[in-house]
Amino acid sequence: MTQQALAERVGVTRQTILSIERGRYNPSVGLALQIADVFGVPVEDLFEIESETGDE
Amino acid sequence: MSERRSRGLLPSPAGLVAGGLVILGVLLWMFVNKGLLVVAGIGAFGPGILRELGWLNDQDEFQRQAAHRAGYHAWLVGGLAAVLILSALQWGNSGADVSIEWVGLVLALMWLTWLFSALLTYWAAKRTTTVVLLVFGSFWLLFGVATIISEAMDGTGSFDLATTLLGVMAGISIVGPFLIGAWAVYRWPRATGAVLIVIAALFAWKFGPWGMDDWSTQLLTLTLLALPLFACGTALLVEERSTT
Repeated sequence: MTQQALAERVGVTRQTILSIERGRYNPSVGLALQIADVFGVPVEDLFEIESETGDE
Repeated sequence: MSERRSRGLLPSPAGLVAGGLVILGVLLWMFVNKGLLVVAGIGAFGPGILRELGWLNDQDEFQRQAAHRAGYHAWLVGGLAAVLILSALQWGNSGADVSIEWVGLVLALMWLTWLFSALLTYWAAKRTTTVVLLVFGSFWLLFGVATIISEAMDGTGSFDLATTLLGVMAGISIVGPFLIGAWAVYRWPRATGAVLIVIAALFAWKFGPWGMDDWSTQLLTLTLLALPLFACGTALLVEERSTT
């Protein structure tokens, strides 16, 4: 799925999807749930908290 | 939502109208009637007020967050500038009046801070630099054309070709760095950033208020001429440094 298609599915701009992917923007809980719903996966499969050492 | 619009490349129709009103209002304020600054005010504040009232819904959550963050930055810069100006003008209970130019300077600082912060949060440095340079380049181009027209039509009815050509060349020398910078950002971001800062320093040296009694007009000119170049150049260098 392209960034553009995902953006249209969840009602945001492609720049917002791009910024989420690059870690420049943390989406709201609502938007995170919407994105997870599009992919049919739990939200924690898409987003995780970075540890202080930088490990993922 | 068109494809270019949904990709975030273009501002919303309300944003385009607002930007046009700001530039038109400033030009009307300069050349027609000081009271027509209200046109720029409608452009600068109208869409935001409508969005806060819930009557305009043309932004997603990231754009709203960027706008709110930029508003806080503009408040800090504008508030600090206002306090410093009031303190400096009334130092020792001198009771000096605050002229309209000082008010304009504070408004320009707030607007520039808001614009730059919102775009930088949303787009990062390169695209922000492109947009800011094109916006301010367009403004100075329109300003130059309006000045030439107003001087060419000045009373006597005669058309001075030499003066007009000199005016055009002066206008190009000011607009050039903005337009060339917007073109070069993606090709040579680091070099473009450094050159923009140098040009901003040259503008500050040439058009600064050095040795004058009233700094307000010169500082307003510098805010609209040198500050965008300096801010864009700094943002480019910082971003390039963080990515290497």
